[in-house]
Parts: sequence; structure tokens; C-alpha cells
Amino acid sequence: MAGTFLDSTELVLNMGPQHPSTHGVLRVIVKLDGERVLGTESVIGYLHRGVEKIAENRTYTMFAPYVDRMDYVAAISNGLGYCLAVEKLLNAEATPRAQAVRVILTELNRIASHLLWLGTHALDIGAITPLFYCMREREYALNIFEKYCGARLTTHAFRIGGLQYETYEGFEKDTNDFCDMMLPKIDEYEELLTGNRIWRERMIGVGILNTEDCKAYGVTGPMLRAAGCAWDIRKALPYSGYEKYEFDIPTGQNGDTYDRYMVRMQEMRQSVRIVRQAVADIPAGPIMAKVPKVLKPPVGEAYVSIEAPKGELGYYIVSDGSTQPYRCRVRPPSFVNLQSLDKMARGSLVADLVAIIGTIDIVLGEVDR
Amino acid sequence: MRKLLRTIFLVDLVQGLMVTFRTQNPKNIVTEQYPAQRPKIAERYRGAPRLNINPENGQTLCIACDLCALACPENLIVVGWERNPETKRKDLINFTYDTSRCMFCGLCEDACPVDALELTQDFELASYSREGAIFDRQILEEGIKPTKYKF
Amino acid sequence: MVTAPWEGELPSALAAEFSDQIPAFLSYLGQNFLVAKPASVIPILQSLKDNHGFDYLVDITAVHWPKRDEQFDIIYVLYSFRRNERIRIKVLLKDGEQIATATTVHITADWLEREVYDMFGIEFDGHPNMRRILLPDEWSTFPLRKENGILNMDQKWVQENLGIESGQ
Repeated sequence: MAGTFLDSTELVLNMGPQHPSTHGVLRVIVKLDGERVLGTESVIGYLHRGVEKIAENRTYTMFAPYVDRMDYVAAISNGLGYCLAVEKLLNAEATPRAQAVRVILTELNRIASHLLWLGTHALDIGAITPLFYCMREREYALNIFEKYCGARLTTHAFRIGGLQYETYEGFEKDTNDFCDMMLPKIDEYEELLTGNRIWRERMIGVGILNTEDCKAYGVTGPMLRAAGCAWDIRKALPYSGYEKYEFDIPTGQNGDTYDRYMVRMQEMRQSVRIVRQAVADIPAGPIMAKVPKVLKPPVGEAYVSIEAPKGELGYYIVSDGSTQPYRCRVRPPSFVNLQSLDKMARGSLVADLVAIIGTIDIVLGEVDR
Repeated sequence: MRKLLRTIFLVDLVQGLMVTFRTQNPKNIVTEQYPAQRPKIAERYRGAPRLNINPENGQTLCIACDLCALACPENLIVVGWERNPETKRKDLINFTYDTSRCMFCGLCEDACPVDALELTQDFELASYSREGAIFDRQILEEGIKPTKYKF
Repeated sequence: MVTAPWEGELPSALAAEFSDQIPAFLSYLGQNFLVAKPASVIPILQSLKDNHGFDYLVDITAVHWPKRDEQFDIIYVLYSFRRNERIRIKVLLKDGEQIATATTVHITADWLEREVYDMFGIEFDGHPNMRRILLPDEWSTFPLRKENGILNMDQKWVQENLGIESGQ
């Protein structure tokens, strides 16, 4: 087909690193044919701080605040994973009371993380209102963190072996109030979005990733569950006493953007359910297990992973018997999930690319570490 | 006819504004008017560091044991001390705390055996120079004094 | 490391299939892993995926032991949805030696292997895109090797590209 210069030719476009809908400093090189995405390549590393190298130069206790700075919207989950990994190496276990408090805070953090995701994702797609609502509700969760451990975002709430802080007076009431407040609010978001025609048009059938692809790409978390695979580490390989709580694993059928949204909304409800059960029954007792002041795990290695809001967050720690980790590898969910962007985005429109990046729920601090 | 009346009396607009005004109920407002309105800071908040002094005799509680400096992941605390020949105890000479590198993890206050070093509820840490973020013993004992603005 | 032998149906099946290619089946803190020879790692991954249901490659990473003859440990973490079991494969590799890429078995190995290359300088043979991923392409050192201290950054790159004297 002979064409004039007006015929569409392939165009290579840089999206990011400073683009509001890439949620940080992600640069996506997009090859376009008109509006159609022919292929993408993610360029990452703008936020690389060398966390794994820092770990090798800090003691086990000292490194704990740094893990909060990887996935900074779910800092408590990061801290929990790290503490569990070191406890595994030490062959210690947190006390029942510490475990219950850990579960409460982690689940609150999961809600906060999903709220931030919902707000920003809706903003990307064009719904501005949910952002303000989500931020408002997230504030209440952050207030609980602030009252409990003194920090709102990068909390450093847990210590290896248990907790540093006893729960404050009124902790149970605050948490219960938050749960009571949260459920109607989730309904409110759903009222705004779920049936909204624009929302549905923009999301249904966009960025489909089926179960087989999810497994091949190592995609975990809500994305895997949206594809129909009911797999959650909290159920499959329970940690920190999750086996005691009753909750369901929400799943989707199509594995598209809309299903991921629905799964995350359901997950918030399930988190509220877990928090309620945990708050109702916080066992009494010490908050710190008997671990030595100077941590020297015996020579060995362990891989421990938890279900972070974004997927499987794993820590592989090698100890050489000294006070510092010999090697601390973090298996970040965002990093691995982001890899599937190219698969999902091929053949879609540029506007869908924005929706797809949003739906992966990446935090660049964790992708780049 | 009805439609005309609705248009004349702006019924739709009023209905819409009702929703707006309902959310404007003062008890639903969550935005804080900082700095006119001071935010509520939790008791355990980890903000600007402070070196506590004994209220009875005005002397520092710090025993210059250096544990905070050892616990700090960023190595930003420097404790200067001198052995007092009379009492055979360490006397605190200087104490520098570099808040520009601090991540307010609270490990130093956990490590302090006498509760001398404490992270307080002061959160206004901005300064005009990098040197201003380095706190010496005087600032640590007296607390930070951010400029107060009137409205 | 005080390890226990890992016994059961899976290790015996693998031992029968690969005989001398897997020198050891071990278990530490209840976590099972096997030590494999570099040449046979891809067949083992393939067999685990096809015959034993380990269809999810969780992670690939490496550890540097500068004093050892085989300087690198490469660790593959695998998970099976069907068996709900997690295992690790450990491969001992000499410096400069190449290992076959796992992208032929698990697509997810792509970025994970790039990261290992970026941090340790281990090259994966047959990888479709063996470039740095987190650090800039022109970076000269491999930061997670033990000979590079934490303050040891590529000063030349910093001076040329950022226009400052030092990154510290």
C-alpha cells in the first residue's frame, strides 16, 4: 500500500519517568502504531538505593527501618516480612500477643495500601472524587499507626522477636471504630465506581492476564486472584497466626482490570473481617519473645515470604553467624508483577496502558529498591 | 408545565447543592487548617530529638554511654564526653544529632538506658541551611524553636 | 550450616532422574533445597515444572563467597501450587562461568536474571536481553560483589553524568 506521509507509521514514545500516571519514576518506552501499542519496554532503576547492599552493612536490628522504605505505602507488611525472616533464622517465634497485634496492623496497612491504590488508579482513569474519599479514610488508618508506634508512613512498628510498643489505651476502640466506618465507605466507593458506565467501559476487557500467564510471569497477589486462582500465602502457608482467622479469598474470572478492582475491594472487606476477629481476641502476655539483645543468627539461610498488598513479598537472608546479614535478598512483588506489563499492554490503546500500569499497583520504591 | 416550574425554581440545582452542603457539615470536614490550626500529634510521635534534663537540678540526664550512637543505623549521633577526675564518671561535653540524615526510626531512644534521648512531638524541622539541620547540645536540650507566624 | 538430609518421594524421584547431577538434597529449618550442577539446572527446572508441578519460579538470586573456589551461589526459589510446597535449587558457579538461562522454562526469569547480572556480573547464556536493569548501562562495577564496599560507587559515571564530584 503506497502511502503519503500522513499514513500512520510506527512511533516510539517515552512515557515517564515524570508522568503522573506512572505512579513514580517509571519510564515506559512505547512503540505505537497510531493509538495502538505494539510493544513496551520498562526502564526502571531511577529510585535504586541499593537496599540489599545496605543490609550487608547494618546489623539485623538496624536494617529494620530500611525495609519500610521499599514499599512505603505498605511499610508494615515489609517490616513483618523482614522480622519473620530473621525470626526464622533465629528459630524464634513472636509471642501470641505480638502476633495478634501484628496481624491487626498489617491488615490495616493492607486497607490503607488498597485505598491509596484505588484513589490514584481512579484518578488515572478520570474519576477524581474517589481520590479525596480514599485519602480521607486512609488518614484514619494512619492515625492508628501514629498513635501506636509514632510514625505514619514508614512506621518501623515491629521489632525482631515481637513488638517494641505495647498497644495504647483505646487501641481496640479505635480499630473497631475504623472497621465500622470502613465497610459503608467501601460501599460508597463501589456506588461511585462499580456500576459507573465510564469506569466499566475503561476497565472491562483491558489488560487481560489469565492464570497460565500469571504463573509463567510469576505474578502474584490480587492480579493472580483476579485471574481466578484462589491462592493467598495467608491461607496456603500461614504465618503470624493467620490460620486462626476466618476469611475468604476473593477471586475474579477474567483477569482483566475490572476484576482486579473487584478483588481489591473484596480484599478490603476481608481485611476488615480479619481485623475484627483479631481485635476481639488479643491474647494477654508479653509482647517480646526471648531473643538476645545482640542478634547473631546461626550460620544458615532462609526464605520467608508473606502476602503483601501487592503480592508475594519474600526475604532470602543468608547468615554467616555475625551480627550483620551476609546477604539479604528481597523478592519484591511489584518488580515481578511489572514484568507482565508488556504482555498485557500489547495491542491495547495508549489510554489503556495507563489503566494497566495503575492496575498492577506498583510502588517504584519497591521495584527499584 | 411541571418541567417549566422545575426549571424556574432551579429544583435540580438545589437538590445538587443539598448534597454539597451536606458534606460541608463542619463535623465532616477533615482538612486541617495548618498552621492556623495545630494538628493533633500522637503521644508516641517520633519527631525532633530532645535531650532531657533533670527538672530538679537542671543537669543533663545523659550519662554519655554512647549506646544511642551505636544503635543508630545512619551513624548520625556523635557524643562528646570527658572523664571527670573527681567523680570518675563521664561528663557530657557535646552531643550532635544530624536530623538531615535521620529517619526517625526510634532505635536511639530504645537504646537509651536513662531515657535521656527522646523523640518528641515537635515536627517542624525545616531549616534554611544544611547546617541548621545538625542539632547541637543546646538545641537538643532547649528544643527547636520554629518561627511562629500570625494569621 | 547444620543441615538435615531431605528425604521423601520428590528427592528420590529427582535422584533417579538426574543421578549424579544433584549431589545433595538438604533441609534447613524445615526448608528443603537441593544442590545442583550448573550444566543440569535447566533440565531440572523443566522436569520439576512438567512432572512435579513446580510451575511458579518465585525468585532467582545469587550470593557471593569470594574466598570459595566456586565464588557464586545461584539460588532458584520454586513453588508448586498443586503441592503447596516451596523448594530451592542452589547452584555453585565459578567466577566468569556462564549458566544457561531459565527464560526458556519460566518467562519470569527474564528480569530476575537481569538483576542478578546487574548486581553480580553473572552472565546467563541464551538470555534474550542480557543488560543491566536497575543501574545505568554504562555503570562499571557490580555492586553486590563483596569486594565492592558500600561507599564504592562508580565515581567516573557520577562525575560524567551528574556533574558532581562525588555521590557520597
